[in-house]
Order: sequence, then C-alpha cells, then structure tokens
Amino acid sequence: MRIELAGQILELLPEGAVWWPAHDALLVADLHLGKDQVFRRHGMALPASVLDGELERLDQLLAAHPARELIVLGDLVHAPPEPGENWPEVVARWRRDHPGLAIGVVPGNHDRALAPQLKSWDMIDLGARHERDGLTLMHETNLDRPEPGLSGHVHPVARIRSGAERLRLPVFARRDQHLILPAFGRFTGGYNLGDDRHWQCLAAAGHRVVALG
Amino acid sequence: MTHPAERFLDGLGARPQGFQREAWSAWVKGHSGLIHAPTGTGKTLAAWGGPLADALENPPRALAWLWITPLRALAVDTARSLDAPLDVLGFDWRVGLRTGDTSASARRKLRDAPPPAMVTTPESLSLMLSYADADRRLGRLRGVIVDEWHELLGSKRGVLLELALARLRALNPGLQLWGLSATLGNLDEAMETLIGPGRQGRLIAGDLRRDIDVETLLPPAVERFPQAGRTGLVQLPGVIDALDRASSTLLFTNTRSQAELWFRAIQSVAPFADRVALHHGSIDRKSRLDAEAGLRDGRLRCVVATSSLDLGVDFSPVEQVIQVGSPKGIARLMQRAGRSGHRPGQRARLLCVPTHALEILEIAAAREKMAAGEVEARVPPAGCLDVIAQHLVTVALGSGFREAAMREEIAGTRVGRRLGAEQWQWLLDFITRGGPALKAYPDFRRVEIDADGVYRVKDRRIARMHRMSVGTITADASLQVRFRRGARLGHIEERFLTRLKPGETFIFAGRALRLERIRDMTAYVRASSSNKASVPRWAGGRLPLSTLLADSLLELLERCESGRTLPADAAVVAPLLAEQQRRSALPGPGRLVVERISSREGAHLYLFPFAGRLAHEGLAALLAWRIGQRAPRTFSLTVNDYGIELVSQRPVPLDVPTLRELLSPGQLLEDILAALNASEMARHRFRDIARIAGLVFQGYPGRQKGARQVQASSGLMFDVLSEHDPANPLLDQSRREVLEAELEFSRLETCLTALAARDIALTDPGRLTPLAFPLWADRLRGQLSSEQWEDRVERMLDRLDRRPERRTA
Repeated sequence: MRIELAGQILELLPEGAVWWPAHDALLVADLHLGKDQVFRRHGMALPASVLDGELERLDQLLAAHPARELIVLGDLVHAPPEPGENWPEVVARWRRDHPGLAIGVVPGNHDRALAPQLKSWDMIDLGARHERDGLTLMHETNLDRPEPGLSGHVHPVARIRSGAERLRLPVFARRDQHLILPAFGRFTGGYNLGDDRHWQCLAAAGHRVVALG
Repeated sequence: MTHPAERFLDGLGARPQGFQREAWSAWVKGHSGLIHAPTGTGKTLAAWGGPLADALENPPRALAWLWITPLRALAVDTARSLDAPLDVLGFDWRVGLRTGDTSASARRKLRDAPPPAMVTTPESLSLMLSYADADRRLGRLRGVIVDEWHELLGSKRGVLLELALARLRALNPGLQLWGLSATLGNLDEAMETLIGPGRQGRLIAGDLRRDIDVETLLPPAVERFPQAGRTGLVQLPGVIDALDRASSTLLFTNTRSQAELWFRAIQSVAPFADRVALHHGSIDRKSRLDAEAGLRDGRLRCVVATSSLDLGVDFSPVEQVIQVGSPKGIARLMQRAGRSGHRPGQRARLLCVPTHALEILEIAAAREKMAAGEVEARVPPAGCLDVIAQHLVTVALGSGFREAAMREEIAGTRVGRRLGAEQWQWLLDFITRGGPALKAYPDFRRVEIDADGVYRVKDRRIARMHRMSVGTITADASLQVRFRRGARLGHIEERFLTRLKPGETFIFAGRALRLERIRDMTAYVRASSSNKASVPRWAGGRLPLSTLLADSLLELLERCESGRTLPADAAVVAPLLAEQQRRSALPGPGRLVVERISSREGAHLYLFPFAGRLAHEGLAALLAWRIGQRAPRTFSLTVNDYGIELVSQRPVPLDVPTLRELLSPGQLLEDILAALNASEMARHRFRDIARIAGLVFQGYPGRQKGARQVQASSGLMFDVLSEHDPANPLLDQSRREVLEAELEFSRLETCLTALAARDIALTDPGRLTPLAFPLWADRLRGQLSSEQWEDRVERMLDRLDRRPERRTA
C-alpha cells in the first residue's frame, strides 16, 4: 500500500516494513535482537533459532527490494550482549553477507551503550533525530502531538473482530504526517492503538496491508 | 481410657460419633487414609484427634503436623477451630499459620521457632520445599492432613500437592497422610492419589445418612416455552417470603453477575435491606470477611454468594440455604445444602429457585440421585508435565535431588506413575538446558548438575523468579476497583473494565458505579444513581450439567413418556413435556431426538443428546464440519446443556443412517481438531501451562520493575515454539488440555459411543418445540466454517474491506 507522508511517497509492506523509493531505503523498527537470549539467561527456554528467523525475514525483504540502505528506527537489540554470548557473532556474520548495504540505526531506549557493538557490526549511528527530506526519523514520538516523520517504539497492534472471530494484528499507525511502524521482531508484545480514534491503523496481515476502521 | 478429643467434646456436651472413634484409632495405629462425610459432620475433629492424642503422649519439639487448606481465606478460621481443643487439653502452644498472606516477619518467626502444627496452602508448602533447609524443617513431620481434598483433587493444584506430599514421604517414610473429603463418586481414586498408589489406606465413612430436605420454589406460572439464561427474578416475591421465615439465609447463585443482580433486587425490596450482604470471589477480601462474620454472629439476615462460599469452616447459624438456578450437579447440591443446619444430627434444608421451567425437572432429578446416594466423581488431571517440571525445579532449589531417587519418587505418585522414560528425559533436559537438542538453547541456565550429580539451582535471579511463580493458579489480569479517595471494593477482570469508557456505569459489589478513570492497574469509580448499568460478566464460572444429573434427567423424561408419575414438584412441568411429545418426541436414556424445522432464517436442525454445554460445543462443531465435508455450507451454532442447534441457509438432506454416520465416534479426535481451529484455542490455553512450567514469567503486576524485562507473553511463546520446536511436549499438552477443558472431550467420546446404541427419533415438528425454543432464543453464538485459519484471516479482512461476504460454498 502506498501512502504520502509530508510529500514523500512511502510503500507500506505487509512484512511490517516501509520501502522508501526516493532513497532506495528499507525502514524497520523494533527488532529487539537478542531478546530470546535475555530470557534464556533467566532460565526460560527459548529456541536459538529465533534469531535466525528474524535475520532470515530481513534477508527476504532485502531480496525483494533493491535496497541500498536499511534504516532501523530504534531498539535494534533488546539488551547489550553479555560477555561470552555468541549471538553478536551471528549478527556480524549476517552483516558480512550484505557488504553493499548501508545500515543506519536511530538508537532506541533498548540500544543504550551500543556504540562499540554498532561499530563492530559496521552500522552507523544516525542520532536520536535524523532529518531527511522533511521527515524526522526517530524512535519515539509524542502520541498526542506527533511531528512529520516516522517512529517505532510502541509496537502498535489492533484488535479486530467479526462475529465470534477475534484477531490481534500488528499495524502501521498514522496520525497527521506521522507514521509509527509495527515491531519487526516477532518475539515482541504490542500496544493496542486500534481503539484510539486519533490514530488510523493499517494492518500488516498475510500478503497485504489493509486500512482498518 | 477416654480419648483426649472426647474430653474436649464432653466439655461441649457432645459425644463422639462412630467414624470419629474409627479415625482416632486408625491414627494411633499409624495408618493413612481418607475420611469422607458431608460438610459439618465433625470431620475436622475426626482428623485432628489423632495428632492431639499423639501430642499428649510424645510432645513434639519440631514441626510435626501440617494442615493443608485449599483456600488461604479459610486458613485463619481453620487455625482457630484447631486451636479450640488445645486450651481444654492444657497445651501451651497455638497452631501456626503460613499462607501467601503471612508477613515476612511472621514467616521468619515460624522458621525460627516452629509450632508443633501449622495451617498452610499447597502453594506455601511448595515454597517451603524450595528453601535449602527444607529437609531439616520438614523432615520431622509426623503427619499431614489435607482438608477439602475433593476441591483440590480435580485440579493441577492437587497435582502440585500430590508431588509435594511424595517429597515429604521420601523425607520420612513413616509419614501419616490423611485427607478430608466430601462424598465423591471415586473415593478409592481420591485416596490413592493422596497417599500414593499401591499403599495401604483406610477409607472412613462419616455419617452419610444426613438428611437433606430439598424443596423447589415453584414459579407463579409455568411457561410453555422455557428460556434459559434468565435471572429468575420473577421468583423474587417468593424468595423474599422465604427470607422472612428464616432468621438467617445463605442464597447461592451460579455466577457472579447473577449474584450482583439478586443482591440488588433483594436490597431494594426487603424490609431488612441493611442486613443483606454480597459475597463473591471478586469482592474485596475485607468485605467478604465482614459478610462471613456477619453471618456467623447473626448480624446479617441474608448473604448472597457464589461458589466463593462453597468451602468454608463451619458457621452454624445458617438456618436456610437457597439455591438460585439448577445446581448442575449432585455434589454441588449436597455441598450447598450442607451449609445449613450445620450440626451433626440436624436436618439440612435447601430451597431451590428454578430460573426456567426445565430447571424444575433438573432439581427433581438431582434430588432423586442424592436420595439414591449417587454423587459425581472428580477426575484428577493426567499428564501435567508443566506441574512436574515446576516441582523438579522447586526441589532442585531446595535440597537438590539425584536423578535415580527422584525418578523413583515421582513414579510413586499417581500423576507420575505412567511417565515414560522419554518424557522423564525430556523433563530433565527441559529444566537443565531448555530442551533435548544440545545446541538449541545457548546459555540457558535454570537447573545445573553439580560435580556430585545433584541437580541444583545456583543462580539467585532464577531462584527468586521461581519462588514468585510457584503455584498453578493463573488469574486473569484484574484491576482493583476503588473510590477516588477511600474504600477498595474488589477486583474486576481487565477485559471487562477496559471495554467501558469513563463515564459509563456498571454494577459491582452491589452498587451502581461510574467509571472515572483507569490508572496503575486501578479503576477509580464514584457512586452513581443510574439505573442503566451493565453487569460485568466474569469469565468461566458456568459449570455444565453433570453427566450423572443429565442421566437422571433423561430417566425422568422416560418416566413421563411411559405415563408413570413424576415427583410432585416436577409434575407442574408435565404440560410442557406433553407439548414436546405431541409436537415431536421426548428424549430418554435410549432415545436421541432430532428435529428439523425451516424458517425465514433458514433450515434449523436440533439434537438433544443431554451431554452438557461443553460437550455439545464440541459436538456442534463436529457435526457442522462433517456435514460441510459432504457439501460445503456455513452454519451458525448454538448449544445449551440439553442440546444443539445448527442453522444453515439450505436444509441438510438427512435420514437416520446418515445421522448415524455423522455421529459416529470413529475419527473423533482427528475431526474435532480439524473442525475447531484447535491451535488457536490451544494458544490461549498455553498461558497456564507456560507459566506453570516456567516458560514465561509474569512477575507481580505493578511491582518488580527490574524483572519486567523478562515478562513474556505466552501467546508469543506459543508461536515461537510452534515454529522452532514443534515437538515440545508442552504444546501437545496444551492441545489435549484445551479439548478436555473446553469441550469435555472424553465426555463427548462417551456420549457418541452411547448415541450409537440409542434409537434416533427424527421428527419434523413444523414449529419450534419447548426443547428447541431456548436454543433458538440464544442464537448467533458462533459461526463455524471449515476453512483454515489463514483463510479466516483473509475473510475477516475481506469483511473489513467491506466487500460482499464470501460464503464457504
């Protein structure tokens, strides 16, 4: 689905990402890489392939769009790696498989103290507010007064029902000239924006994006 | 020589009963066993007499007896009633108390100077096992008494307790275990579960011939077309009359919403409005305790309650018990009746208030079974890998364990008896490295095996999280309800409150309340005078008609069909049954009635197997799916305790042989899984399993900020495991549990097998029959289609797209 945001044409992808043709850029938010590891550290059993799954989904996106740049709107990781953990190496290996791709990160609240890690992954810190063509790329926006731009952070979802059936779907949420991306990480929770009349929700479901309500 | 408990009874001017003497002497001989008797017949003293005599003979210098109670709200009263004989017999100690409500300082005191006896809950016992000095503190126990064992038996809490008791038995092989239970249909199994299969136990029957008078309050007029789901408030004048006649009354309803409505109604018309109170599980604890005290000391004339008062320590002065709606089972009828005339030898009185005509029949049927001495069984859950996993971590955290000894200990329990070598290995893998594949869960640490081969928990964070998660009860997230500044009213499920908007009015704790705002897990309200208020509907709570009662009901129908007389109160329903018989046919133990009607809405198909609401849900889905396999169509399904309704656009071509094929018990499991989108249901069910097994950590709402980072959603976990570890046995367990819990799967299986032997009366009544009417009136519950989940998503999205609706055809 194509939308116009502050004069820019953006394509909302059912995978929960945004394609920005003017820059050949893919935008995603809230990957929360390594979240499974945090859980394992606390004795909760999560399969290791969670991380592989996330990276694979990024691969599929990158294969489907001729991207020169990948922009992460914050919360690339869930927590900084602890000594001895292997997953940063898995990410590094994945990074080396995409040599021609620039990766920029707008740091989120979970990305504290990540600078050395970003460097080793060959990713660029874009700063908390990154301006581009009239859009501000940020991690977190003020939900009551959003400015023109894109963000993540809230992991928006909407609950929809039809008859006895109920569904909870990740959504893009739009208000005025601002768009919030759904969390790209699968192992993340969600915040219901579906009942908030100020926000228009566009559901990322199956093979398409659908405007709700 | 007189038994010390007899001396205590002497002081009360009472004499011991036969079963009490029997229990005391069994205790002296070192036996374990189960004492079963109706509530209020002196079970407590029957069990407590043994330890009392022992305490005189060999004064204990450590914790010697544990008294387990299922509800921590009961613990205080229980301790008080156990204390009563202590003074008389000259003991200088008191019974200790350790539950989730016990403060940390009181707990420390219990550790430093343990009393000879302590009242506690299954969860607190588990917690005690999780401390390193568990062996020393619990190793000198002489006996454990489990109160209200029938309440725990059918649940995972019972399994948790069963495992904890096995642990205590391993610490002291001579430990005596006694259970107290209401009458059950499976007493042998109940005892075996408590004391361990293959062990000798004594089954002691209390005074079973306790007289219970069950009366029915007949409505002013019996409608020809009964409607289920009504509140029964037309019966209010009769109930008020009954309240007037007794000095104290306990009025039971089956649901909390019904309790709220009845409380409001009684308060608005009764002349003693200020002496009526409300008691249900969501009401603030203090108000509940007030209501209980008011009932005890005679301040209150009437308490409106739900199953929250089914259990409890004897409070004698309830003169009368009223049950609104069918009790749905014989055990429940007896339990509730037992709340009145709470003294040995006194008659128990129960007034039943049917909310629709067919409930008059249900009540009569229940009374007949009760008179015949038949009661439902409570079946202990099977499998329960989640509970076993939790228990293993608990023991690893406490004293630690060695594999071989632990394997033997678990195999000595009912739940662990059939645990295969493969499942056992999975359990060990699960707690030590997350799963069977060595590399699948890197850096997983929960239980570690030390150099001596002992399984232990070493990480302190994990220890803390585990202790916070001990237990098997997962409450729905609930919000506290309170006035802006002031009184707390209780808790309501989040799901209900978040659907309300500020300014809207609802009824709770017997008052009309206006929602002001929700903040920090608290709903702030103010009193409202509005009459247009909604009543919260709490999840669960509605029990299906028990199999035993359903069978009894069918026998009554059969009796009516063959022209024999019905019990006097049930006779008023005779015209309705005659109408059913005239238009169609009467169901009976040997006859399934199937009715076809067409209307403007489409073709209606009614079946009346009398297998209870839950099994009917499964049956309806199964039938719709099987019919859909032959010729695709969309049905709307409705069920109640008596039967099911299927409505489709075009009629289903049917004859008796086709019906028999559709109702065949063959391929049941496969078909039901295909019919029900079982994975979506299992995903929901997985919540409890994941929490019990320690797969997710929920912490305490509003607290534990530091731990919030590891609070996980079980839904996410279910998806992740389904995708990355589909062989995880916990997934399979949740699928099996959901079928049993939501659809009474084994009952459905039995029902279909029984139907195969029944006659089928296929009729075309032309118009709705009295049995069909309530179903017709409750329509539009669910839409079923035989599509995949993905297709359903697409279809829902289609509708949202406002495209014309697509039918399965």
